[in-house]
Amino acid sequence: MRILSIALNTFRENLREKLLYNLLFFALLMIGSSILLSRITLGDYHRLILDLGLASINLFGVLIAIFVGIGLVSKEVDRKTIYTIVSKPIPRYEFLLGKYCGLVITLLANTVVMVAGLLIVLQVMDVPITSLVFKSLALILLELMVITAVAVLFSTFTSATLSAIFTLAVYVIGHLSGDLKEFARKLDDVSQMAVNAIYYTLPNLERFNLKGHVIHHLDFGMADMALTLAYGLTYAAFLLLLASVIFQRRDFQ
Amino acid sequence: MIKETFKSIVHFPAIILCTGLFSCAILAQHQLEQRDGGRAAKLEQLRLLPRGEVLKPALLGYHQLGADLLWLRMVQVLGDRVVRDQDYEWLYHALDVITTLDPQYLYAYDVGGTVLAELAARYDLSNQLLEKGVKSHPQSWRLPFLLGFNHFFHLGQPLESAEYMARAAKAPGWGHEGAPPSYVPRLAARLYAQGKNPDVAIEFLEAMLAQTTEPLIRERLQHRIRRVGLERDLQMIERAVQQYEEAMKRKPAALVDLVANGMLKSIPEEPYGGSYVFDPKTGEVSSSTHNERMRVYRASDSMVRKGDVE
Repeated sequence: MRILSIALNTFRENLREKLLYNLLFFALLMIGSSILLSRITLGDYHRLILDLGLASINLFGVLIAIFVGIGLVSKEVDRKTIYTIVSKPIPRYEFLLGKYCGLVITLLANTVVMVAGLLIVLQVMDVPITSLVFKSLALILLELMVITAVAVLFSTFTSATLSAIFTLAVYVIGHLSGDLKEFARKLDDVSQMAVNAIYYTLPNLERFNLKGHVIHHLDFGMADMALTLAYGLTYAAFLLLLASVIFQRRDFQ
Repeated sequence: MIKETFKSIVHFPAIILCTGLFSCAILAQHQLEQRDGGRAAKLEQLRLLPRGEVLKPALLGYHQLGADLLWLRMVQVLGDRVVRDQDYEWLYHALDVITTLDPQYLYAYDVGGTVLAELAARYDLSNQLLEKGVKSHPQSWRLPFLLGFNHFFHLGQPLESAEYMARAAKAPGWGHEGAPPSYVPRLAARLYAQGKNPDVAIEFLEAMLAQTTEPLIRERLQHRIRRVGLERDLQMIERAVQQYEEAMKRKPAALVDLVANGMLKSIPEEPYGGSYVFDPKTGEVSSSTHNERMRVYRASDSMVRKGDVE
């Protein structure tokens, strides 16, 4: 209950962020621009509209998750409002979870607006809307949840700027970590184990990328979907737990 | 009141200055665009694109979008006639990068392969791209069909063409392609049996025409159908002349003799609006519009020269 009220409060607070509206505006502009671009391409314009729409939702979602997520804790510390919260009989992990859930609600609301924009474009341009589109959107949201958890984790022990840099780095690495496994195959046994350990520790964000499946109409089975959901949720939970432990031990001076 | 008037006086030059600066920026931008060579610069950018293998990881999961945007840029550059006269190496490079970024992009292989062969006359590059596509889409029938087309018309290799066509006939089809149309297995069989028959060539061209929507390529195909049609007619008249000679033990005086004696149903219409000319002295038949013959369709001729089939 307390988590929910912190979450709703965070959501209300986020709605006052001007950055959010700027990013949302550009996302909708990009989704809308696909109508224009589809007129000058040759061949399969459905592909361009779907691809540009999903990529915009993903990219702007990630930007919102990172740039709003990093301020979640550090802003409270800078404004000294953290003292009024930690002095209350609320476990610190509940505060952190509440903050996280608040941002996830913000991201959900944003994604809903962007998806509405995309669906309108798809409808207007007569592009068939398949269940794969919604599967892809669900996994984009899951990726945003993992990124938010990373941003929250970093914001519990570093400044906002450093958190932004670290989270962006994790985002980049997360999309390249698949190559680590390929790289490991060419190494000797010991190095292979070490590289594989790094691979499994880092998030593999490519697992949440279904954009290729959508544009090429490749099936993504329910078993794969369930496993990917389980992977994303457990990874985000692990990051939040780690963040809670660090936050619990942090001394606010 | 005085304050407000003062403010508006200060604002007025600021607005003028702002407009002036904005106009200068637009002018400078316009001048820069004049200097950078427009389309040629865009073409150069495509030529200098980094390899797909390098570009793909840098796109962080947005590689399909990268392929889309490159495709869009390539289509714009290709639409310019000035660019069409270039060497087309850039086109192959751009298509190679696009299909490395998104190996599932069947349309890029399909259209790219056709454009490289039909507009750029780079059959080597076209085949290279199509072979790459066949590797990532073994179920597609369109790609082996196009390879068969290139081998038949551009490389003059009817047997290889028949093999690709047989492969196309067996393929189940990928995505929106659907199963191969009924003419594909028929063409495969005919290519094996009578690779040099102009009727087979016309059937092949008509099959290709049925699948092409690009106006420029359709125009080329229609031109080629007319050209092969001309060769078919000439061969038909030559056979009739031969029959006449065997039956009458002399050469006909004119082509109408062939019709009168039932060797020909009628004198076919010359596809270019000209007429068929018969020389009673030599017994040779020719067209009033085209002097050269297409050697590739002469069964007795094993020499196949590039360029025989336009």
